[in-house]
Amino acid sequence: MKFLKQHLYIIAGLLLITACKPEIKTPKPTHGSVDFSRYISIGNSLTAGYSNGGLYLQGQQNSYPSIIAQQMQSVGGGVFNQPLFSSAQANGSGYVQITGFNADGTPIITPVTTNLAVRGQYTVPGFGNVILYTKFSGDIENYGVPGLKLEQITYAPLGNLNGFYERLLPNDAPTNNTPYLAFVTAKPFTFFSNWLGNNDALLYAVSGGAGDVLTDETLFAQLDNYLISTLTAKNANGVSPKGVVATVPDVTSIPYFNTVTVGAIVAGVQKQAPSVKGIYINALVSGTTYAPRLATASDLIVLTFPTSMVGKPVNTPYGPLPYGLTPVTPIDNQYVLDVNEVALVREHVLSYNSTIKSVAAANGLAVFDAYTFLNNVQKYGLMEDGIGFNSAFVTGGIFSLDGVHLTPRGYAIVANEFIKAINAKYGSNIPLANIAGYTGLLFP
Amino acid sequence: MRKLLLLLWLALPVCTFSQGFQVNLEGEKQIGMGHTGTGTLLDGASVFFNPGAVAMLPENYIQGGISPLLFKSDFNPSGTSAQYYTADKVATPFTFYGVWGPKAARWKLGLGVYTPFGGLVDWGNNWQGKYVLESLDLKAIYFQPTLSVKITDFLSIGAGFVYNMGSVDLTQGIPLTNQAGQSGQAELKGNGKGYGWNAGIYIKIASGVTVGITHRSQVTTTISNGNAIFNVPLSMQGYFPQPNTFNASIPLPATNSIGIGIYPSKKWTLAFDLNVVSWDVYKALEFDYGKTTPVLQNSISARNYKAAASLRAGAQYKYSDTFALRFGGGYASTAVADGYVTPEAPDANRVFVTGGIGYKLANHLNLDASFEFEHLMPRTQTNIQSQLSGTFETNVYIPGISLSYHW
Repeated sequence: MKFLKQHLYIIAGLLLITACKPEIKTPKPTHGSVDFSRYISIGNSLTAGYSNGGLYLQGQQNSYPSIIAQQMQSVGGGVFNQPLFSSAQANGSGYVQITGFNADGTPIITPVTTNLAVRGQYTVPGFGNVILYTKFSGDIENYGVPGLKLEQITYAPLGNLNGFYERLLPNDAPTNNTPYLAFVTAKPFTFFSNWLGNNDALLYAVSGGAGDVLTDETLFAQLDNYLISTLTAKNANGVSPKGVVATVPDVTSIPYFNTVTVGAIVAGVQKQAPSVKGIYINALVSGTTYAPRLATASDLIVLTFPTSMVGKPVNTPYGPLPYGLTPVTPIDNQYVLDVNEVALVREHVLSYNSTIKSVAAANGLAVFDAYTFLNNVQKYGLMEDGIGFNSAFVTGGIFSLDGVHLTPRGYAIVANEFIKAINAKYGSNIPLANIAGYTGLLFP
Repeated sequence: MRKLLLLLWLALPVCTFSQGFQVNLEGEKQIGMGHTGTGTLLDGASVFFNPGAVAMLPENYIQGGISPLLFKSDFNPSGTSAQYYTADKVATPFTFYGVWGPKAARWKLGLGVYTPFGGLVDWGNNWQGKYVLESLDLKAIYFQPTLSVKITDFLSIGAGFVYNMGSVDLTQGIPLTNQAGQSGQAELKGNGKGYGWNAGIYIKIASGVTVGITHRSQVTTTISNGNAIFNVPLSMQGYFPQPNTFNASIPLPATNSIGIGIYPSKKWTLAFDLNVVSWDVYKALEFDYGKTTPVLQNSISARNYKAAASLRAGAQYKYSDTFALRFGGGYASTAVADGYVTPEAPDANRVFVTGGIGYKLANHLNLDASFEFEHLMPRTQTNIQSQLSGTFETNVYIPGISLSYHW
């Protein structure tokens, strides 16, 4: 009996200790003035979870809308379905990965071409080839479609021209005629995020101003107004869905334009040929007139420019001349976003953003100012939970190997910025995601 | 051409040692009385509490004790409802004291071996701050030979030399992910040593009140050629050469104390202590690696600690010749300024209560047991360096037991 008593004291003591475990009081979860029960996300590749030059399962699983939706669970969030690739076709469209480093510290980047979800190819006369992917037929809450522009949201044939959109529609190209906006609003929803507009400027920029056109600023404003008024229209229950929108980042703040520089190319050439003063580009003069001139540090070279081309002989009417080193053989327009093109892109992005912000304000929506946020990251870097981030290619931690889209950690950072904007606007307290719980680039 | 040099991974192992590392568990009798003892004379633990008092001890002592310590910390990241806890790991600070002198002599020799600084936290590799710290096991064991001399019947002085054997084992995540999705890890593991001294005066005032004043010097502990182990993706190993070593130096701060003992009756002893710890010497922490690369650079991180103080009070009630009850408590201010709180020692102002019993097992043999509970106030902080933002709250549970033989 005495023995038991002694043990009882020990047990009681242990219970006391366990009961005294510190517990920090946290605010009660609240959804504020919003119903998060069906959240849908509207946007382009960034919204879809595109990463490392492709859309694939792992990227989709770390898309910022899926992170937001996970965090919404504690404040009344509902099921969030994504058009995921199957595990057998997990590599989706294919992507690129780092397989090693060269002696000079540059990464060796290799495409992944197995376990793809490609089902075929479809040729559109006068447009080109559209790669078709394995259809997805389940419920969808993440409507991110790579390549989508705001300009295209009411364009009925889009489902035959964009393979990632075609994948979500029931019919095979060329028989689709559901405009994107009609598709995403077919089922009622209570909350939305919209991050469209990047491609209206970005596709022009990444093609060096050669392969695409900037969406007209007035048309952008009209379509953004139409999009937001459609999304916030009263649903069957007489309630207007609430939402959050994001601005378009300064396309020149991404590593795609800041990794390969004019200075580095010139320095590389001068190692072989010290007399070379600079490289020639075909630059925008005004309107659609282009003329060759020496490149300056304000001209941006795209990440995908094969620098080994510089100096290779090119046949010209004046005989073979070295590529990029004479006015006759300037670097092709598609590799260069020259200073005038940069100005043009900037002007459009600023106009798009002022539209996005004023339309959001008029409709009482939350705004994540991605433009300001990413510019600040570029200028000052970012420190989160002991992880240092910046806008550099490979080492920066935010951008993936395509220099445009993000790593899982980058998407988690973006998700948290969206969450902060939503909480500030609507009085909710969606918990922030744990950035340290997401991975950066994967290294062999 | 994708010409890039992997110049700067911003997040390098920049590790830190800091405050909550002072361990105040240097004698079970004293712990029971709120860890007072500068101005009282209870047993051989005076070697630590006041070397000046040792010569006044009526007997010789050999004693040893242990105080298993559970430091339970909770972290709630800002803007979330998540709670991360440190694992249940028990540190084992111990004490050993020997005091000897001829009965008639005015002097006594003493030796103390004790653990004045240490820390054991294990947050695991799955928490929000894993790139700041995963785990830390830090120990400083002091060896202190002491000489104490009774100058008059009411005044004695004493001094000791301190040799410190320190050890550290620290792990931290590196935010480089391999293709299996696993993070890298840095482990810094090494032993160090340092030297110092301490001295004290003990006075019996006519009214029966006793007063003690002590100084324990700073002990700068230097770790040289510790092991720096980096586990990173294969392709990154060139930037984290192995094997590698590190050097670091940690100032374990000086402490000034004043204490008094009051004896209202034969049965009661009351004690009060004031300690001032010169943590302000801890300005920065520097790690120098044996081999550096453009990615792995020597690191300096600001600490900018401030001096801290603690107020302690305790009492002993001698129930009988064989049985004593003790209780006490106190308050200690934090040494860590706002913006510098880290998960190694999530320090904050703290309160503590203690209790203890003393039991005479045999004529020359005493058993003492103590229990201490400390509560570190919740502290919401954003660390300037890591930007880890959230609230820390900590409870510490410390049972203790010691045996002393005296003659």
